[in-house]
Amino acid sequence: MKIYRVEGTIVSTNRIAMMDHKPLLLVVDKPGASPMVAVDPIGCKQGDWVLCCGSSAARDATGIKGYPSDLTIVGILDKWEG
Amino acid sequence: MEIHQVKGQIVLTSRLDDMGHLPLKVLKSVSGSTSVAMDPIGTKTGDWVFTIANSAARDAAGDKRLLTDLTVSGIIDNWADIQKPDVK
Repeated sequence: MKIYRVEGTIVSTNRIAMMDHKPLLLVVDKPGASPMVAVDPIGCKQGDWVLCCGSSAARDATGIKGYPSDLTIVGILDKWEG
Repeated sequence: MEIHQVKGQIVLTSRLDDMGHLPLKVLKSVSGSTSVAMDPIGTKTGDWVFTIANSAARDAAGDKRLLTDLTVSGIIDNWADIQKPDVK
């Protein structure tokens, strides 16, 4: 699992049906790194430091078994100096 | 899920049956690396999309039998203003 920083939200109306209505957030490993898209089952806001889980565990972490995701936010860090 | 730009399409006349019939798009990631993904939603060249990798890619393509480790899962609507956020 890795620590990311939430940059903002992603809007994608034209996406595969299996993804239904889960919110997607833009997260960055370290400032300036290339951004990744993560599924957000918790409800984070911009600037939060979050913990993301990848590969097959990310699918069930979204709350829907077998959801098509390979990066999901599993928690918000209380304190992290970045 | 990584963010890529669709560069074009490839054609594989001789290929395995389990590859299915979805179009295969050539993608260029933000960091510049090139990869190929199955495209169940129909993107055109120049679209900014995000992809799903690993075991979820096969489900995302619609059928567990499909042989893919990367699938295009959505077109990003607001990519332009993510790149140049208008400072409020």
